[in-house]
Amino acid sequence: MLYRTAGQFKTSYEADQALFPVRQDAVLLWVILGFAWVVFPMVATEFAFQTLLIPVLIYSLAALGLNILTGYAGQLSLGTAAFMGVGAYACYKLITLMPWMNPIIAILLSGVFSAGVGVAFGIPSLRIKGFYLAIATLAAQFFLVWLFEKWAWLYNYNASGAIQVPNMEMFGVYIAGPQASSIVQYYVVLFIVCLLTMVCINLTRGTLGRTWKATRDMDIAAELIGINLMRSKLTAFAISSYIVGVAGALFVFMWRGAAEPNLFDIPLSFRILFIAIIGGLGSIMGNYLGAILIVGLPVVLNLLPNALGIPIDSAMVEHLNIMIVGSLIVFFLIVEPHGLAQLWRLIREKMILWPFPH
Amino acid sequence: MKHFTKLAVAAVVAAITASASLAQELYTPNLAYRTGPFAATGIPLMNGQADYLNMLNARDGGIGGVPVNAEECETGYSTEKGVECYEKTKGTAIVTQPWSTGITLQVLPKTNVDEIPLLAPGYGFSPMMDGKTFQWAYNAPAGYWDAADMIIQYLESQGDLKGKKIVHLHLDHPFGKEPLPVLEALAEEKGFELVPIPVGLKEMQNQSAQWLQIRRERPDYVIMWGWGAMNAGAITEAVKTKFPMENFVGVWWSGHDADLAIAGQDAKGYKSISWSFPNADAPVMAAIKEHVVDKGNSKSNEEEMSGVFYGRGIIISAILAEGITAAQKHFETAEITAPQLRWGLENIDMSEARIKELGLEGMVPPFKTTCANHTGNSGGWMLEWDGEKFVKASELLTANTEGYASIVAEKAQEYADANQPWAVNGDCSE
Repeated sequence: MLYRTAGQFKTSYEADQALFPVRQDAVLLWVILGFAWVVFPMVATEFAFQTLLIPVLIYSLAALGLNILTGYAGQLSLGTAAFMGVGAYACYKLITLMPWMNPIIAILLSGVFSAGVGVAFGIPSLRIKGFYLAIATLAAQFFLVWLFEKWAWLYNYNASGAIQVPNMEMFGVYIAGPQASSIVQYYVVLFIVCLLTMVCINLTRGTLGRTWKATRDMDIAAELIGINLMRSKLTAFAISSYIVGVAGALFVFMWRGAAEPNLFDIPLSFRILFIAIIGGLGSIMGNYLGAILIVGLPVVLNLLPNALGIPIDSAMVEHLNIMIVGSLIVFFLIVEPHGLAQLWRLIREKMILWPFPH
Repeated sequence: MKHFTKLAVAAVVAAITASASLAQELYTPNLAYRTGPFAATGIPLMNGQADYLNMLNARDGGIGGVPVNAEECETGYSTEKGVECYEKTKGTAIVTQPWSTGITLQVLPKTNVDEIPLLAPGYGFSPMMDGKTFQWAYNAPAGYWDAADMIIQYLESQGDLKGKKIVHLHLDHPFGKEPLPVLEALAEEKGFELVPIPVGLKEMQNQSAQWLQIRRERPDYVIMWGWGAMNAGAITEAVKTKFPMENFVGVWWSGHDADLAIAGQDAKGYKSISWSFPNADAPVMAAIKEHVVDKGNSKSNEEEMSGVFYGRGIIISAILAEGITAAQKHFETAEITAPQLRWGLENIDMSEARIKELGLEGMVPPFKTTCANHTGNSGGWMLEWDGEKFVKASELLTANTEGYASIVAEKAQEYADANQPWAVNGDCSE
């Protein structure tokens, strides 16, 4: 009924190859975008911006970057947080060395540095696969975090070893630093996330995406039909690390405001990997669903007892929270091992057939 | 997704209206950490803080007749949760207590814009002493640079430091690096050699590499800036390598009874500088027992209450309460606002007489804050582990603040410059 696709005729190649060939999908997307661009900014409080909207978007972007590498190209990586760190430190150096630079340009440029580092650490993937590659990326994780600690030039010889985001202006409005308002930061993040998501949807549909998928599904077969595995794997590393690096720069500049090296340690890598796995590997939308579950849900659960007027210790809430989120992850993985995106795909298929399933 | 966000928005709105409807109270949230890797040290501190304020609520009906709502917001020592808690509580809060150095660094620039006093007793960013630059931040009664100076003073009293070698064993984290500028300056002045040895966050429990290096260096003294699991790790490792305990001195966060109890008699002689001391005979302890513990409102226990960290929790709440009292007197209103509390915190006068009046005898040295000095530089005692508990091993030591006043000014200026536009307190004439 709601999702009936009967009667939607494609009369041109263009219509047939549209990003969202089913009209309902396109409408749904516009509704979600409308909420993201208009409704949320109007109703959200400072708290909602800082703890729900901005972090969910940034984590989604980081998971999207990882998903390109792991979900599309099949190369398992445990170094996501370190590549985020490269983006963040690169952005910090760009901003402090060239204060005149437009912050958004600096953020987008900082991804280039993490792409370079990503390719360097991606070279072993030409020889090793699976778990062994995971270990090689783990080396990147440990090495880079160590480098962030030891290379004082990266944090401008600051005594505390941490980086602090200065106040940055663009067209007379503060967009980063303590003076920036949450709504401005939200729009900057939303703009970059929308832009990169669009790029990714198109990339994964095109030649590059198809080569990645072929590499993932069976690399020998892919090589036999003439796919250059080196190029396929290294482009995946480059593009994935670029997106992850931009996410890292946003993470520090648009949200945290300060960062110390151990922020980019392995727990963050795992967190992003969980988002990608629970959301669904090899899916774009899954990253958003995963981030909402892993990042957004604990915040809302923390608010519930207070909102319902249940007097309960905040430490107890935290314990309950960990238990609830943990069991939800197990539940979703049992119900749908392919992630939330697959769950949505099934629901959607059922809705298309409803009310007359064969 | 839509449903979820609607739910979220509804929850946020409900939470805000719920907290706004509770009038007639002083909302002093505490970003506590009773969970996570640092919970063992967090719990006694939080219990001490909560019990003191609960005692004031039960005995005096709060401060100046208005009950204090010291709600805890659990961070688990995670910076991310800390910022979440800050955002959640800042609407009606008159103070924020961030607890970790990471959260402090994150929240410090925000408090200057949101105009909420930040109370970080004995931790945080040492240049916060400069009250003109950091008008919203307080680290009374003493900062890390005071600690470094006092430790060196104490070691000097044991014999000339010229030509001696001192290892600075520290957590490789902003917190551990904090005292380095002052220690370096002192090394130059007194002629001792300083060897900083960092302990990575992943190596806290296994410090064999660091202690091997210490054995090779053969230092005369080891100073420790440790926190959480690092303290117990260092102390057990020192016992194992037979390092003379009397030459091993920690900062105040490295003086947790439970960490030393593991080593027991073997750790005898270990020292820790401290601006607080647990005095079981102080009237405040009796009051807490009568009004809180006996009514079953305390989460603490006998053993914990005799420890250094529980006593320190009490002092931290007492400092906050003094700030509130000062503001109430000056502005002649019981329900003070955040900017009024800012004035109160910079006019705390913890004189010997006032300490006695509050029933805190022997638990905290006297100190005084001003608009130019947000630390107060109370000084502290060198505590020594006697095998079972900490005892005072020295008279009150006071830091020679003039020695590093120039570093404070320089670092504060650096911070303000990096964070332009940064509002400073121009009214302060001192």
